Amino acid sequence: MLRKSITIVLFLLIAACSQQPVINDEMIHLDGGMPVNFSGSWERNYARDDEVNAVLRDAYNKLIRTIPDQHHPSGPGIDASTSNKMNSLRALARLAELITRPDVLTISQSEHEISVDRKDDFAMLCAFYDGVSKAIENDNGIEICGWDGKQLVSSLVLQGGLQVTHRFTISADSQHLRVVTTVSSTTSRIPFTLRRFYTKFRRPTSNFNCIETFSMKRVCSTTEIKR
Amino acid sequence: MSRIFSRARTRIVLQVLVLLMCIPYQAVAADGILVGDGRNHAALNVSIAVFDPGVPADMSLHRDLQVFPQIREIEAMFLPFVLRETLARTNAWGAVRVIPQPNVAAELLVSGVILKSDGGTLELNVRAVDASGRVWFDRAFAGVVTDSYATGSNGSALPGYQQLYGEIAESLESARAQLDDKALADIVEISLLRHAGQLAPSAFGDYLSQSADGMFSINRLPARDDPMLDRIERIRGAEYVITDAVDAKFQQLHSEIASIYDLWREYRRKVIEYQTEDARRVQRTKSSALRGSYESLVNLYDNYKLDRITAQEQNSLAVAFSNEVGPRIQAMENRVDELEGWVDTQYAEWYRLLEELFELESGL
Repeated sequence: MLRKSITIVLFLLIAACSQQPVINDEMIHLDGGMPVNFSGSWERNYARDDEVNAVLRDAYNKLIRTIPDQHHPSGPGIDASTSNKMNSLRALARLAELITRPDVLTISQSEHEISVDRKDDFAMLCAFYDGVSKAIENDNGIEICGWDGKQLVSSLVLQGGLQVTHRFTISADSQHLRVVTTVSSTTSRIPFTLRRFYTKFRRPTSNFNCIETFSMKRVCSTTEIKR
Repeated sequence: MSRIFSRARTRIVLQVLVLLMCIPYQAVAADGILVGDGRNHAALNVSIAVFDPGVPADMSLHRDLQVFPQIREIEAMFLPFVLRETLARTNAWGAVRVIPQPNVAAELLVSGVILKSDGGTLELNVRAVDASGRVWFDRAFAGVVTDSYATGSNGSALPGYQQLYGEIAESLESARAQLDDKALADIVEISLLRHAGQLAPSAFGDYLSQSADGMFSINRLPARDDPMLDRIERIRGAEYVITDAVDAKFQQLHSEIASIYDLWREYRRKVIEYQTEDARRVQRTKSSALRGSYESLVNLYDNYKLDRITAQEQNSLAVAFSNEVGPRIQAMENRVDELEGWVDTQYAEWYRLLEELFELESGL
């Protein structure tokens, strides 16, 4: 319990020190059940997605406005310092694009946990035990989630001052999902944010019942398999 | 009225006789010195209870501690059998049995808690208590699987952690060596009398006394030809038959899942090796890219991602392991439940009949 508290306090401190603290103490506490059910299979709706280059152009403009005497992005008047800042921002944009590349999300949700499975990436995990969000940590980072009203917020703080935040919002009819991903770093003055949209779909049912086994891998049968 | 009562008495006695005739009168007669002096008292019968899986109640700790609850439950049934085999091989003990629940009347009861089991290291807390309540030891044992154990290339053909089980066996023998013949004989007698006291407290309740620290001592002994004692021993013989049937089920489970369990343990050991190697890789590749560059950011993200994917893979394989051995465990548990259920029903019946019989015979 003490370790858990220390971990969460540590996370909140790290988050507070970064540019954009996204999860506060209130968000990691949950009274009662999960406010929203995200479970299901979701496929990308590319038509509604943000276009990375357009967002990056906006971010450049925003960056330029914060720097005195710089008016034209990538124009002849840009000094080396500004150029470095733009490079850092471009790196964040490329990482955000990489992270948000999966075209299908499979979300499973239980009383305690929400797992977001993504192809070629780890499954984001949000676990609440005894009403408190449980941080996941390894030697390279710490991941914690929380609820901001009906939005699920997952934040990953990595070594080297890199932070990746996903904010999940579901539509009123539970058929559409929006994921806003923000990547920030201590090396960039402003963060980079991308929005991805998903539509719920039903996976085709199989005539086979399959289970994973340890020594025989996947075993399938047309009849019910005893577990 | 007295005729009705007399008829009821006769019926009860007949019931008891029929019941006791069904119980094989076997080698148990030589177990206790109260009925035979041929037994080597040093060769105590050992009962090994199914281990406590050591799963923390706080589910949120399972991931951090790398505890897979379902697999720990399986290990709790599996590992006692490995200890049983080790003790049986020494030929230093009487019957060595794995039992589902601790039996305080056992001549020597060995129980354990799994403290750690990750494929590379096994830590058990083992407690050995004899029937008199004397604690032989209560301490942790740890074993590490080396490559030679894991691959069997040492030619020993012994399972991993064999050294740990060997240490437990040695500790038991060392503890027994501290006891003289009288103490060992007392253990056998106390075991029988505690068992008798559980079955027929009216008849055997005052043969033993218990001190404040929980130790049992013998107040007096029943007559060697006491008919109640004879019945108790016959009943104990029947219980041993059932216990051996339960033990055979654990043996069957062991033979069925041993190869899969060894695979799982080997996998877990490889994961630990991989994690150690990966930590080194992270250190090696840490500063190769310019800070803030795309390559540097991807490197930071990938390091975390690889750790998480490894952990996820372990969880998936833990579920796959449970899927594979689950039906076998379930079948064994069902059979053990049937056998235990039979014993429980008979026990209640024996208890009632023996109490009535004692009342009739003693005229109380």
